[in-house]
Amino acid sequence: MRLRTLTLALAASAGIVAAGWQAGAAHEVAVARAGSGGTVPASGDGAGSSAAPSGSYQGQTVQTRYGPVQVQVTVSDGKITDVAALQLPQNDGHSARISSAVEPMLRSEVLSAQSADIQTISGATYTSEAYASSLQSALDNTR
Amino acid sequence: MTGPAATERRDRATRVFDSMGTVVSLTAGAADGILDEAAAAVEGTFAGYDRRFSLYRPDSELSRIAARELSLAAAGPKVREMYALAMHWQLEANGVFTPVRTDGVLDLSGVVKAAAIRDAGEVLLGLGLTDWCLNAGGDVLTHGGPGPGAAWRAGIVDPADRGALLADVTLGPGRQALATSGSSERGAHIWSPAGAEPLAQVSVLAADIVTADVLATAVLAGGVPLLEEAVRRWPVQVLAVRPDGSLLGTPGWKRP
Repeated sequence: MRLRTLTLALAASAGIVAAGWQAGAAHEVAVARAGSGGTVPASGDGAGSSAAPSGSYQGQTVQTRYGPVQVQVTVSDGKITDVAALQLPQNDGHSARISSAVEPMLRSEVLSAQSADIQTISGATYTSEAYASSLQSALDNTR
Repeated sequence: MTGPAATERRDRATRVFDSMGTVVSLTAGAADGILDEAAAAVEGTFAGYDRRFSLYRPDSELSRIAARELSLAAAGPKVREMYALAMHWQLEANGVFTPVRTDGVLDLSGVVKAAAIRDAGEVLLGLGLTDWCLNAGGDVLTHGGPGPGAAWRAGIVDPADRGALLADVTLGPGRQALATSGSSERGAHIWSPAGAEPLAQVSVLAADIVTADVLATAVLAGGVPLLEEAVRRWPVQVLAVRPDGSLLGTPGWKRP
């Protein structure tokens, strides 16, 4: 009974960890929950020593479509006090691509030194009236 | 011997005309000789779309549909084609993009300008013009380059200062089209899901202008979640500006 409760908590925690780890792909990685439901190998030092368990428990490694996920749960008097990721699919090429697909950028990174040599301007749609004061108009008038 | 930039600039020429409430600029090699003919053909393509789809023209097919004088089923093939295109993108963009205004009026402006640019590009290629840059109200479609071995380069307007650029980008094969949407032009054809982190401006580089334009609009409305999804599902590069002015982008934006 105690073991089953822990298993459920562990399975749910895998999803939470994944969600926190990669907000953008959270709904993809959270499939870890669906595939788990496994046992809790009692590697913790306090497992089974008292009615209200304490210690660290390693979850089963769960295969997700982006690679293996494994978490470790720390329990104190029957309450989960910490969840840590032991294994996340960050070495998988696909996952790495997803996690870095959208990244913060600096203006200096994207505005190159050659920016004077541009032929056209993209911006939110201007009206016919606003065109006169637009950068595109200035560019068109130099030709 | 002057620098290559100066030489290129002298060799290019631009034609500008008004359509769809904005301004269209066509730039091509001045030596091509058919630039005036090409500009007239492009203008004709845009005028054809404007006649059918403008809700500012009481006699357009779309105005007559809005007035319930004409049913969608009885409308011309071009109108039905644009409706199908808009519905396709409504499904693709998880409903963020919709061709129906909140007052129930069918408004296809979310796809019509991009379709006009797309068709105009086909017209230019049909005339044998292979090096050109077409800009319609800030949405860009290119082919070839501004000179031998050169690639078209576009600047992206800074939404906080429309007289300044925040980025520049090289266009080329697989990334010939560039569209930018800003919160200043949020129209009836987009709908923002609750809770999505808003974006101030979104630029999308794609192989075709319809994908670039629709995704720029949809990501602007759908925020960061749709940005992540768009990058996963389509071969596009995105540069987004957050309300605080910080930038989010795909690595390929910088590297062609």
